[in-house]
Amino acid sequence: MAASVRTFVRSLSRKNAGFSAVLRLSDCRWFSGKAEERSTHFGFETVSETEKASKVYKVFENVAQKYDVMNDAMSLGIHRLWKDALLHVMHPQPGARLLDVAGGTGDIAFRFLEYVRSQQERQQRRAVLLGQTPSWQDVSDRYPDGGGAPESAVVVCDINKEMLKVGRQRADSRGVTTGLSWVVGDAEELPFNDDQFDLYTIAFGIRNVTHIDQALKEALRVLKPGGRFLCLEFSKVTNPVLERLYDVYSFQVIPVLGEVIAGDWKSYQYLVESIRKFPDQEEFKGLMEDSGFFCVQYFNLTGGVVALHSGFKL
Amino acid sequence: MATLLRGLRAAGALRGLGGVLAPPTATNLPLCRLWRGFYCAARRLQDESKSDRASSSSSSPSSSSFHQHYQAHSAEQDSASQHPSDSAETPAGRVAYADDQSEDQDEEYESEEQLQARILTAALEFVPLHGWSMEAIAAGAESLGLSSASTGMFTNGSGDLVLHFIADCNAKLTEILAEQHNRVQLGQAEKKKTSEFLRDAVETRLRMYVPYMETWPQAMSLLLLPHNIPDSLKHLSNLVDDIWYYAGDRSTDMNWYTKRAVLTGIYNTTELVMVQDSSPDFQDTWAFLDNRIQDVVNMATTAKQVQSTGEAVVQGLMGAAVTVSFS
Repeated sequence: MAASVRTFVRSLSRKNAGFSAVLRLSDCRWFSGKAEERSTHFGFETVSETEKASKVYKVFENVAQKYDVMNDAMSLGIHRLWKDALLHVMHPQPGARLLDVAGGTGDIAFRFLEYVRSQQERQQRRAVLLGQTPSWQDVSDRYPDGGGAPESAVVVCDINKEMLKVGRQRADSRGVTTGLSWVVGDAEELPFNDDQFDLYTIAFGIRNVTHIDQALKEALRVLKPGGRFLCLEFSKVTNPVLERLYDVYSFQVIPVLGEVIAGDWKSYQYLVESIRKFPDQEEFKGLMEDSGFFCVQYFNLTGGVVALHSGFKL
Repeated sequence: MATLLRGLRAAGALRGLGGVLAPPTATNLPLCRLWRGFYCAARRLQDESKSDRASSSSSSPSSSSFHQHYQAHSAEQDSASQHPSDSAETPAGRVAYADDQSEDQDEEYESEEQLQARILTAALEFVPLHGWSMEAIAAGAESLGLSSASTGMFTNGSGDLVLHFIADCNAKLTEILAEQHNRVQLGQAEKKKTSEFLRDAVETRLRMYVPYMETWPQAMSLLLLPHNIPDSLKHLSNLVDDIWYYAGDRSTDMNWYTKRAVLTGIYNTTELVMVQDSSPDFQDTWAFLDNRIQDVVNMATTAKQVQSTGEAVVQGLMGAAVTVSFS
């Protein structure tokens, strides 16, 4: 896309080759004007980049209330398994800090907190079983307020306030009060300092970002050295038979479900189209490596319907 | 520096190739038949202790080339098992790199495995506290200033840690044995008898486990897990091979296998005794080791005696048969 704009401008400048500096200046102004309206994809349609961000915002504003219900309906509940797999691969150590970007309704955040808490309980139980007489340090650690060890915490960041609102409601209904914070922010320009987080996840959100490489660079910036980047995203199905079934299901069933359950055909049409536009597993791995991540690998879930990419900042 | 490392590796590979192409040194040991192989091996133990001094001087030029080949080979193995011993001196090495900004990207890419090795080495400190587990690796990573999330790089976490430690110990032992070998060749030290050499080598190697003795049973059980068995067997066979090599073994027949099998047995049983030994400074273990090696030596002498007696008896019978047949 950028290349086509460049060739267009080159042909233009060749046409105007003989003219004076004044005209060349106007060309420059025209060229910079064109750059602001670089186009990108919004599903299968082409829109300008500035438009895409606001269109995506509107999509998620509309679906926020029915987001979780629709997830269950569209994926037949399998999205829970995908998110569980993400947590298992992540295997967070006690005291880890997670930044969940585009984590609107908080699925990953809740799972993370549960995982870390059950791990801590298991460790405590193991210590008790070993029959060690606890030192005063251990006894004071077991008190909820005490302990010097850093507690695990999650920061949920999303560009969309509606999604965060739904997430906060869910947290309240589950009774989760500590270790969780909600921040409005753009994945391409995170409102955090460098080297803040041990883990960065973005589950089913990165395909909605306008500049993926920018989001990856930001992820690299906010991660601590040794930190891990995990991305869960719809990807290319490897099996051709499954691919045909998946296509039929995506384009015939999902928008209908969207209309029936959420009353919004177009948003779900966008969802399905944006999945097709996203780079496949190897391409995304290449993007991650170009942005500066090491030990990049991916795992295909459900035959390639979803891919889990992992990289480290070393 | 990266190109230097690559050049070293290439040179090492070439030397290895040269070593392979050179014919193995033939010893003047007669071939033994399969069913006597074991007794022959035990006998060689005794023979070599006498003939070692005679043969070593004659085979020293070729043995030194083998020595070089072996060092290059073990250096390759070490780098393959993710622990190049020269990169272990990272504090000094890193300071030299830190100034060279242009090589930063290159060096970072080359040292993904080196970084993993560094994390595992740092994790060893925390093993007495957390056992051989992911928590120890996380603590190790944090002590290096990295996030605990970097433990995700180790898919076989605790297995990786134990295998790294074993490879480390093997490398240290090889260094010590090479050092001793050099000193003997320079005439600064006396050459030991084979049985004494084996005993000292096994003791040195087992003493490396002493700081981790409480958690060693856990480590042993980790090594026995099915997905770790190939690697742990590889390390064990390398260890035994190294020890026999520096003991002076140059056999090219069945003895090669039987010797290593005998030493593997001695090593494993001594390790097991050590794990449940509570005597001061593991004296019981060293006594056990002495007895096992003595057993092997005794078996060798007995085997020799049996063979010579057998030959004498056979000759006597043959003579008697001839006499009877003529009369």
